[in-house]
Amino acid sequence: MRSDWAFVEYVARALPQEEREPVLGDMYEVNENAWQALRGIGGLLVRRQVELWKSWRPWLAGFGVALPSSFFLMGLSLSVALSYMRLLCPEMLAQASMTKPSAMVVLVWQALLLIGWSWTGGFVVGSVSKRTLWVSTALCYVPCLICLSRFGIGSMPRFCLLLFLLPGIWGVHHGFRLSKIKFSHALMIAIALTLLIVPTWSSSWLQTRIPQNALLAWVLSIPAWYLVFAAWKRRRESQVEHAA
Amino acid sequence: MLGEFEYLLITAAAGLGDDAYGAAIREQIETHTGRRCSIGALYTTIERLETKGLLKTWMGEATPQRGGRAKRMIRITPKGVQAASDFYDAVTSVSRGVAWAKRTGSTT
Repeated sequence: MRSDWAFVEYVARALPQEEREPVLGDMYEVNENAWQALRGIGGLLVRRQVELWKSWRPWLAGFGVALPSSFFLMGLSLSVALSYMRLLCPEMLAQASMTKPSAMVVLVWQALLLIGWSWTGGFVVGSVSKRTLWVSTALCYVPCLICLSRFGIGSMPRFCLLLFLLPGIWGVHHGFRLSKIKFSHALMIAIALTLLIVPTWSSSWLQTRIPQNALLAWVLSIPAWYLVFAAWKRRRESQVEHAA
Repeated sequence: MLGEFEYLLITAAAGLGDDAYGAAIREQIETHTGRRCSIGALYTTIERLETKGLLKTWMGEATPQRGGRAKRMIRITPKGVQAASDFYDAVTSVSRGVAWAKRTGSTT
């Protein structure tokens, strides 16, 4: 291998394996120099990304789910951390006029919502547009970095803002690997999440325990219902295929 | 309806027959048009045409002059032949009577 091509080979790793081989081979065959090869690969990478962004999928994954969910779920992560602290500190419990069992209920309720919303959001991001996952990831981390730099609650560690990342990354991993979810599973998750947010409409006590208002709670449940819709559509298409 | 570059690619591949692959098609296009054909334009168009079912690709043999790397061989499908034929008919039909078409006609 020509030594000046080492960097070209490194940059070409951004291309999928089945494309990298013929592209590098073509450039090698016509004796392109390293600079021409770099320009060619750069151009191909840019064109590939532009092609991807002509579809609605990366826009949904990045700007529709990753970016807004990141903001809202940081708020809920903070609430979960506060609820946990309340359980440990009797003074905080008294300040909130709560008993230990009710504080425990709120903590479990918030934690379930946090896991459910983060996982379903992550699954949608990971499955809808795999080749632009790096953009969706960046869009998720930018608000995190901004909030981490401005976080100012002395008694709480900064990382409590990022509690949502763990179930979120878990969801992205599942979405990226599996791409689809069974209709029955998707429906079960969506119904469970909806049942969890229904009390926020009727109970003022619960409304005060959730950082977002009820409308935002519904917005965060959209990825779960999107998964139901996508699974239903897939099932219908396969039924039509079988019938044909 | 095909685009101009899509037509050039399909026609170059058809002319090359069993020897149609990236570098050879690129050379054909550059020779006949006198314009540089970027590898980015070539491979994104190949993928788009394959998605449309106008051509088929598969990995060919690796040769020493390619640094031991495989070729991406290309074959035009019947649908691709039809699309290229439609494009050619449209171009020749719309060009009938124009000055440069007459000039080409008188030389052939």
